Amino acid sequence: MSQKHGWFDGVVLGLIQHAAHKAPPALSARLEEEWLADLEGHRGGFARLRFALGCAWATRVIAHELAAPVGAAASAGARTATLLGPIAPLLSRRTTVAALIGVLHVLVIVGLASGIASGVLQVPATPMHIDFIVRAARPAAPPPPPDPTLVQFRPHLPTPQWTAATTGEGAITVPTAQAPAPTAAAAPPQKQVVRLSGGPGRGFPNTADYYPPAAIRLDEKGITSVRVCVDGAGRLTADPVIAQSSGSARLDAAALRLAQAGSGHYLPSTEDGRPVSACYPFGVRFELK
Amino acid sequence: MGRWDVRISFQTLKVLEAFLENPTGELSGADVHKSSAIASGTLYPILLRLESAGWLVSRWEAIDPASAGRPRRRLYRLTRNGLARAGEVFASFGRGVTA
Repeated sequence: MSQKHGWFDGVVLGLIQHAAHKAPPALSARLEEEWLADLEGHRGGFARLRFALGCAWATRVIAHELAAPVGAAASAGARTATLLGPIAPLLSRRTTVAALIGVLHVLVIVGLASGIASGVLQVPATPMHIDFIVRAARPAAPPPPPDPTLVQFRPHLPTPQWTAATTGEGAITVPTAQAPAPTAAAAPPQKQVVRLSGGPGRGFPNTADYYPPAAIRLDEKGITSVRVCVDGAGRLTADPVIAQSSGSARLDAAALRLAQAGSGHYLPSTEDGRPVSACYPFGVRFELK
Repeated sequence: MGRWDVRISFQTLKVLEAFLENPTGELSGADVHKSSAIASGTLYPILLRLESAGWLVSRWEAIDPASAGRPRRRLYRLTRNGLARAGEVFASFGRGVTA
């Protein structure tokens, strides 16, 4: 052998030798030498293992055909069988079944590990339709009340005419004090501010990518309302929270992951067209159609 | 078995096709595997079946395994009968063989 790969190659060689020894005696030595030579043409542990397993299967097929030559090939098969002598039984039924079960386990493990089956498992049975529910822009908010201003209140009372008079000397006359007229402070000019709520913007992640495979298989759907706080640049300023659950913990968790991943792709809320930091809810719809 | 004394399956056709690429050449099992991509579990029974039917003959490669550093290979080649039969097989499928 020009290549040695430690214990794994030992397993492969052992498989081939075992298969060859189980072959009809007249073919056993030939098949072993032939297969070991042809094994050199296979590179890679998996290819060599597959070759060795194939040899085990080939032994079974060869022995079966030589044991029961039928049809037009009967004469040729009988001639060969005569040359080969008695055919040794191959692997027992129990050994074959156990080997097949082992091979199936290996294939399933390899398939899962390499992600071959993930495409099958994650493909939903029906087309999936997912869209956002963006809250409609709210109408212009009513103008806020004017800032409270302290207005000095002066009750309007009739001006008393203070007149003190005595009958006699030293009469004192107090001049009448004219109270100033009450004045109300002028209300400041009222300014209307137009506020628009934000929502998912351009480049926001696709909701389908966050649809949990388990939820798809279980046909779970619903709308999760997520509350996010976004700055003027569309970035999250706090962790998103569930404003209203869809009823499915899986979908709620997926909506939170989606909202978190969308940071930087939100449309900020605006006041008079200027982006401002604000918190607002938006809905994520998970739906299978 | 049909018209021929060998069961003609799709894999058998691929094996014959590998030999018909060079009807006088000799191929080992590994060579046939490379050109036909047939798994060993199917390939070797077919080779033995064709050899038993007289379509192929085989011999050991004439090397010294000790000096070559590898086991000697079993080499197969088409017989005259095998070449004629393979031609009939492919002709029956609408594909002539000129060899």
